[in-house]
Amino acid sequence: MIEQLRRVWQRRELLWYMVKLQMKAEKKNKVLGFAWSFLDPLLLLLVYMVLVHYIFGRGGPQFPVLLFISLLSWRWFTSSLSRSVTSVTSKVGLIQSVRFPLAILPLSGIIIGFFDWLFGFVILVPMLFIFEASLTVNILWLPVLLLIQFVGTVGACLLVAVVGTYLSDLGNIIQFLIRLGFYLSPILYSVEGTVPERLTMLYMLGNPFAGMMESYKNVVILGAPPNEYALWGAAVAVIAFLVGLWYFSRDEYKLVKAI
Amino acid sequence: MINVSDLGIKFKMGKRRRSRAFTFLFERSHNRQRPTGEFWALRHVSFTVERGETVGIIGRNGSGKSTLLRVIAGIYPPDEGTVSVGGEVSTLFSLGTGFNAELSGRDNIYLNGIMIGIAKNQIDGISDAIIEFAELGDFIDMPVRTYSSGMRSRLGFAIAMHSDKDIVLIDEIMGAGDAVFRQKADAEMRRIIGERTVLIVSHDMNTIKEFANKVIWLNRGVMVAMGEPKEVVEQYLAASKVKKPPPDLD
Repeated sequence: MIEQLRRVWQRRELLWYMVKLQMKAEKKNKVLGFAWSFLDPLLLLLVYMVLVHYIFGRGGPQFPVLLFISLLSWRWFTSSLSRSVTSVTSKVGLIQSVRFPLAILPLSGIIIGFFDWLFGFVILVPMLFIFEASLTVNILWLPVLLLIQFVGTVGACLLVAVVGTYLSDLGNIIQFLIRLGFYLSPILYSVEGTVPERLTMLYMLGNPFAGMMESYKNVVILGAPPNEYALWGAAVAVIAFLVGLWYFSRDEYKLVKAI
Repeated sequence: MINVSDLGIKFKMGKRRRSRAFTFLFERSHNRQRPTGEFWALRHVSFTVERGETVGIIGRNGSGKSTLLRVIAGIYPPDEGTVSVGGEVSTLFSLGTGFNAELSGRDNIYLNGIMIGIAKNQIDGISDAIIEFAELGDFIDMPVRTYSSGMRSRLGFAIAMHSDKDIVLIDEIMGAGDAVFRQKADAEMRRIIGERTVLIVSHDMNTIKEFANKVIWLNRGVMVAMGEPKEVVEQYLAASKVKKPPPDLD
């Protein structure tokens, strides 16, 4: 497993180049091109604001920014997952032409997803001033939260990349789980005031993302320290990372023959 | 330089490999007739290639030629036997693979270069030579999906030739270019012969006879013969004579 990490690190130039090329290929042939990096998250935010703010009449004055930070982070996770399902099967030609660490394929999707997060964050920054978010020293937790999410996402994506190669139905299953996970995570709502108090612990432990989402909102918008359940999120992330890395390393060569 | 000993490559039958749990849950009832078991794409294959040799690989479709090149490229690990390759291998180009169709030819040159471990600034130096050799003109900045099969194979061949690796693997990409390109490609082949180690898969027996100093004939994953190009090619052609002439169409 450490060998696997070393091999990927050795080929980091390739990883970086694949990220650049893939981003280029995704933006090319579009009239608005690069602008979509900013428009995509903004339009997504707009849809949910209409839904919650105007149709359901809920959400406080800071709702747009609270929603935005959790939406961005959730989108990073889910876009990485969806890209990973087909990351191996869609690159048959490349895989059968030259030997390289296959883990680069799901990894490049995660890094592209992170750039999308960054572009979204650029839009979020001015909004933070408009909606009077409290900026405190707790913002320094943000890189830590991102790192936890990155580690967990890598684990999940490595797992999904292997299974998705054997089982093409996984794409449909993942889409369903993503939709379900979206409503089960505190993105459109806050845990406080929505989840009954006696169920809070069950809810936070059942969904390791819940603690993470609440923490993102705390450190970026509310100026508070991370939610204590982020620790649970970190534990799950590390476990996912180890399991994913182990499974991927075990099956990497079988994958080449399975496609 | 290349030492293959008792090589065996095994594939599982059926489209995709399923986990045992999945098979148990979903496939017991309705897929009972699905052929199961293993299929040896190559078995008991042994040979050595010295530095600077050019080896032709011939055989019918599905005889394991491309699989053999992939093993030497390090893509398939052997299931049986051993393979040792003493040198760096260029990208294995076969028709229609190795390119990202959405990207331009230029980006694909860089991608392929970085894939086989050439530093980016070195690629800057050779990309112009590749573009000129492949005669792609303005198409070089168009997505590869807009290329004809001849253009693709020209680009693939040009990259393989300019990548400056010890071992060059060519899988049937010589055939698709037109006559003019063909002459250029042949000249290029003559230039690198003796200098680099070349393994070439082709159905064009003239190509094989002209360039190879040794020929391997594969049939259903087994090596039928290896030796002098002229002899092996003749044996192969004699064995593949169609017994009955095709019926008259009118």
